[in-house]
Amino acid sequence: MSKKIPEFGPSTSRKRPRNEEPEPQSENGVVNSHSLSLEEDFAFSDTLMALRMMRAQFPHIQKVSVPPFVLQSQLYSSIKNRTEVDREIESLKREKVVRIFKLNTGQDDHAIMFIDDYISQIERVVKRMEENSKTDLVVFEWFKTHVVQSKLDTSIGHQELWSFLSLGGKVKEEHISQLISAGLLIRQLIDQNMYWFSIPNIGSVLKGLSQGRKELMSLLSRRKYKEMLMAALEVKRLRFSPLDMRFHLRDLIGSGQLKTIETPSGLIVRVAKD
Amino acid sequence: MWKETREREFGNLRPNLFSSRIFKSRISSIQLSNSKEIVSSHRGSVNSLQVDLTEGRYLLAGASDATVAVYDVQRATDHDGRGRISKHKSLFLINKQHEHGHKYAISSAIWYPIDTGLFVTGSYDHHINVWDTNTTQVVMNFKMPGKVYRNAMSSIARSHMLIAAGTEDVQVRLCDIASGAFAHTLSGHRDGVMSLEWSTSSEWVLVTGGCDGAIRFWDIRRAGCFRVLDQSHSQLGRRPPLLACAATNKQKSSSHQSSAKARPPQRKSTNGNTVKSHGVARVPSQMKSAKQRSHPGMISSHDRATAHYGVVTGLKVTEDGMYLLSAGSDSRLRLWDIESGCNTLVNFETARLQSSKAIQMAVSQDSALSFVPCMTTVKVFDIWSGQTKCAFRGHYENVNCCWYNAQDQELYTGGNDRQILVWSPPKSISTEDDESKNGEAATSDQDNWSD
Repeated sequence: MSKKIPEFGPSTSRKRPRNEEPEPQSENGVVNSHSLSLEEDFAFSDTLMALRMMRAQFPHIQKVSVPPFVLQSQLYSSIKNRTEVDREIESLKREKVVRIFKLNTGQDDHAIMFIDDYISQIERVVKRMEENSKTDLVVFEWFKTHVVQSKLDTSIGHQELWSFLSLGGKVKEEHISQLISAGLLIRQLIDQNMYWFSIPNIGSVLKGLSQGRKELMSLLSRRKYKEMLMAALEVKRLRFSPLDMRFHLRDLIGSGQLKTIETPSGLIVRVAKD
Repeated sequence: MWKETREREFGNLRPNLFSSRIFKSRISSIQLSNSKEIVSSHRGSVNSLQVDLTEGRYLLAGASDATVAVYDVQRATDHDGRGRISKHKSLFLINKQHEHGHKYAISSAIWYPIDTGLFVTGSYDHHINVWDTNTTQVVMNFKMPGKVYRNAMSSIARSHMLIAAGTEDVQVRLCDIASGAFAHTLSGHRDGVMSLEWSTSSEWVLVTGGCDGAIRFWDIRRAGCFRVLDQSHSQLGRRPPLLACAATNKQKSSSHQSSAKARPPQRKSTNGNTVKSHGVARVPSQMKSAKQRSHPGMISSHDRATAHYGVVTGLKVTEDGMYLLSAGSDSRLRLWDIESGCNTLVNFETARLQSSKAIQMAVSQDSALSFVPCMTTVKVFDIWSGQTKCAFRGHYENVNCCWYNAQDQELYTGGNDRQILVWSPPKSISTEDDESKNGEAATSDQDNWSD
């Protein structure tokens, strides 16, 4: 089960090679709570391992409480066979382990988040809304129990949303606007009756994501040969993004805009020419 | 190769297997041809290429400067480079000066599938012309409401001679050559139709890809489309054999509970209907009352499922009629299983695909390799694993179209740099025979500049 992965540097704080550990040990305490039974310990997959690892390595951002998510392009950078990644994500989605969200930064960006993190984020948002205003927040309960569990896609239509929420109680227009203002749903630009599912409080992080991408690409494009040693790149800090360099590197390598080349002096990151 | 020939002689190797092995080895060695060159007579980017289906000999090319040219790819018009490079000039050229020629760019030019006596061109000047090849005259003309993006005729049609035309308009029109009128229109798309293809398994089925990102399947004998491909409906790889199907269906239907009214009652979804009906018992009555008035053929127009997050720029049905490859302006290529209508989740590593123009893709005969124009290169993908086998770099600008000639295992590509390039397996060097034929045996030792 050992696949070749790009090494991001010799230092020990980076990811360890995957073929060392066949079981998710406690690099992250969260993992232990997932592997409940012995069967689960053996029924892992490369994608799930990579997801857990990247989730554990999600940078901590002050001032904004955002649960860790993994971009789909980051998974492509670690696992060679992209088709396998796609299929495993699909089966994880069907098993309700993770949830996929479409992001509005660029084409076809998807964020993958564990369902437990998502639910806890919803609860955090609900708690904050409770402190601020006294309005009825029962719609969030309906959302959690009916919509999140049944609708596994990235978008939902207005009629369907209404019907799912009605399973909890009588739905009014204000409930839908509460959901939108909390950041759980976003109206689609093309079609007024369709909504994207979204992660609450993620706006500033997404802005940082697109700015960080641009900054990293321009950093490399300005250089004479449009390349830089990975070791030198890692220690740089991005000015416009709260997310760390490793996050952006994985994302851009996975989406094909950067490529890594093995050289005798280490890995080199170069801007990919079409 | 010789070992395989011996095996075939002895009967250890079946003839089919022998030929497919030779095809595979030839395809895998395709590179820019060093023995054949097509002299392009176009002054604008080449938008469409097609080799005729009957003989595999004549290449029809349509370009942005309203020129149409036909090249003979088997017989060269003259030789160059001491007989080693064969140059193929156009047999005839139709340009704007022709009295009934097109005025603006030609977006697609196709041969009449039955023989090479007719060809059909569609252009941005809102016209579709049917030309007689031998006299190069227009025999029929159809006026469309918008720019024609693509036209197609079914190669397996035995009872109709319809040209399907996709234009800027939301309706797909079917033009009948036999009567000279429009047969009917297919409505359902919400924006223009940029790509369309006839199915290779049924003469009545048409697949269209729209600028709204939807791919629809139409049976032209009925009203409305019978399937809309949704990228979120996916299956993991090839469809499992029949017995295992029931298990996967339950899983699939429990995960998507979109309105079944918009989807035709297929055998598979009725399995899931009973599972979800108890949960959404209140829904059917509401939806039914809202939809009671619409014609059964128009129900599909309410289905807003998209196959791509942008415009569908290219479609290609594999020759066995089982899979559909689609390219979108979101730079994604998707492989769909036609029978089940699901995305097979094969990930093709494309960094970018051109998004403003339609691209024409090609699939090899045994449906194992696909040739896709990606910006200035043509990438060869393994259809089932999505890996890039190789990339053909030769054009100076974006490549628009490619056509794979299965007879000679050659690939013809046309791009914005006005060139048509030929990619073929390397020819075995038999220079002695060629030179003696041309009577130039003595000149191989001579220089042009020394005395």
